[in-house]
Amino acid sequence: MIRHWPFTAALLWLASAGVAGVADSDDPHAHHHPAPVAAVKITTVNYKLPRVALVRDDGTKVKFPDEIDDGRPVVLNFIYTTCTAICPITSSIFQQFQEKLGAARTGVHLVSISIDPEQDTPARLRDYAQRFAAGLGWNHYTGTAEGSLALQNAFDVYRGDKMRHDPVTLVRAAPGKPWLRIDGFTTADDLLRRYRELLAAK
Amino acid sequence: MATPAPTTCLSSPRLAGRVAFLLFLALFNVVTVSAAEPSAVSSDAGARLYRQGILPNGDVLRGEREGGVALTGAAVACLNCHRRSGLGTTEGQIIIPPITGKYLFRSAAKNVKDLNLPHVAGYRTQRSPYSDATLARAIREGLDADGRSLNYLMPRFRIDDAAMASLIAYLRELTSAPVPGVTDDTLHFATIITPDADPVARRGMLDVMERFFIDKNEFQRGGARIMQSNSRAITYRVTRRWQLHVWELTGPPAEWERQLQAKLKAEPVFAVISGLGGKTWEPVHRFCEAAALPCLFPNIDLPVDAEQDFYPVYFSRGVLLEAQLIAHDLLGRVSTAQPARVIQVYRANDIGVAAARALQENPGLRGMKVETRVLPAGGAAADVSAALRDLHPHDELVLWLRPADLAALPARLPPIAHVLASGIMANLENAPLSAEWRTVTRLAYPFDPPDQRAVRMNYPLGWFKVRRIPVVAERVQSDTYLACGIVAETLNEMLDSFVRDYLIERIEVMLSHRLITGYYPRQGLAPGQRFASKGGYLMRFAGPQGIKLIADGEWTVP
Repeated sequence: MIRHWPFTAALLWLASAGVAGVADSDDPHAHHHPAPVAAVKITTVNYKLPRVALVRDDGTKVKFPDEIDDGRPVVLNFIYTTCTAICPITSSIFQQFQEKLGAARTGVHLVSISIDPEQDTPARLRDYAQRFAAGLGWNHYTGTAEGSLALQNAFDVYRGDKMRHDPVTLVRAAPGKPWLRIDGFTTADDLLRRYRELLAAK
Repeated sequence: MATPAPTTCLSSPRLAGRVAFLLFLALFNVVTVSAAEPSAVSSDAGARLYRQGILPNGDVLRGEREGGVALTGAAVACLNCHRRSGLGTTEGQIIIPPITGKYLFRSAAKNVKDLNLPHVAGYRTQRSPYSDATLARAIREGLDADGRSLNYLMPRFRIDDAAMASLIAYLRELTSAPVPGVTDDTLHFATIITPDADPVARRGMLDVMERFFIDKNEFQRGGARIMQSNSRAITYRVTRRWQLHVWELTGPPAEWERQLQAKLKAEPVFAVISGLGGKTWEPVHRFCEAAALPCLFPNIDLPVDAEQDFYPVYFSRGVLLEAQLIAHDLLGRVSTAQPARVIQVYRANDIGVAAARALQENPGLRGMKVETRVLPAGGAAADVSAALRDLHPHDELVLWLRPADLAALPARLPPIAHVLASGIMANLENAPLSAEWRTVTRLAYPFDPPDQRAVRMNYPLGWFKVRRIPVVAERVQSDTYLACGIVAETLNEMLDSFVRDYLIERIEVMLSHRLITGYYPRQGLAPGQRFASKGGYLMRFAGPQGIKLIADGEWTVP
């Protein structure tokens, strides 16, 4: 019987069956059990960060990691401005997180680094930041393709190219402390809770 | 409503006849709307909802996710994730499924014989078919046809019954029409050549394209063989022949659009690959967008800067990028306390006109006095010297000139310290500048320098050599080879989903993976990005003679 099936058809069949099999376990595409929020994976990691030149959304040239070592706690993610699926959500989460911080917002450094730096000029980053009502304390950064890649590798978020990126949020209580890594879509409330726990444990 | 016939299913004569009839309808713009639909249901309204996130009553669409992340309007329109084609994509670990009618409403595959749709990334063959009611539930409540929760990324939308009916009507139509230029054994492509295109470059480009198409067709020795299911007459990974149609335009630009429309009607093609232009590409760009025809990576140095358009895609902004690079240099070097006089020289009726205008309109240069010196179209070499008579030591000279005019620059250098010239117009490192002019001139260079691109260029140059293709216009031929390669690789990845919008969507995803990037250090696209290479250098000549250049600074994305 099988020999009558075209080889490619059989391959496609196997491939699609494989996808369905995964869907039963942890494929985010279809869960048997409705989840209140997307499942996230939490880890604590020490990253060795390279020295990289970046350009802040206001056009200022800065050095990483000095830029995030001013003593403030840091909440960091990677975005690109023409991203249509993941980044609008992660940036909305940052927006709501910043709103929920209230008066404390200026004491927290939100850092969004472009993974498409050649497209994302400071002007485009400013437009993007405006879309998400980024307030004082939330900066977007661009730089060279090599610089962005070095940072993505350092934080283990590089997945081959910008369109393969995963939602990852990184939180650090203070310079020298380890990073709390949140893989998956968090929510503003969840992020705020984890952020406060991390600061309390400092 | 019946599930539309798969577009690649053409192996029975009856079906082929049916598809031919549909093709006839499509060619003559006959819009088929089900007569059973109530008048309030409009797929146009559905399209607006799908693409722009605007509800039929004019309100913005609102989508919410668990945890309170709500988005409205265009930011939450279906198109963002499911894409214009509706065939979905992948983003990171997340698979975004196809949501066109034929994928939504098809029966669950019980065995391999039921696999009667082209495979795309999010095609889950065993899911039960949606009904209008379960589809509305999926959109409002996030449960699939089997009652399983959809991915977190899928918002829960507030859409009333009337708007829902329009959206579903649109999804049934979306990407269901037969695709012109795709037959059961042939993929038709065109390339477009304007009458003012350089004849040498034209020959060089066509040499590459014709050879590429021959190679593509000869790769399957013994002719194209169709792999076919014996049960459902469905073909998989069909090895279609590639056929090239060369569309040569004639007369003034105002007549080109009409000519292109006639050519497309006479020779329906799936996409336009490469092409060669001269002073303007605007009518071609307009035609491609209006005809919903992908026009991929033409050889032109003055593209249309309209990234909101979907179908025309370019390698770079060309001389417009050079204008940005020059502006960036002036801004970084010239003190605004002592505004410089920037003198631009260009010949009328050439692409320097638009480049000079772009530089003049650069908002950063508002503090500088920008003058233009226009040489008459078709004028004499003496015009150049005349335009440079009253230069002062602090003047910044910007040359948008072709080699013939550069060769006519006065032998005696005017008393200036800085000259910036268009590398593209000057013929890059072959610019015919005298030793004296070389000491002060830097070229805008929106490419990788020759020594840095040498290794990458080995591949196209080796390909030309093996096939005995004379290299008469290296950049044009290399870019043509890249354009053909990009389309070929993308089509391989698309399997049998021959859909024009999907072709562009897949190029957006795969382009940055290519290692063979010719003159460009890297290339990348994304939704809303239509220029693959974004930056460039300013280059100095290394010596009084020869073609060696030295980068003056880093690769800059202005």
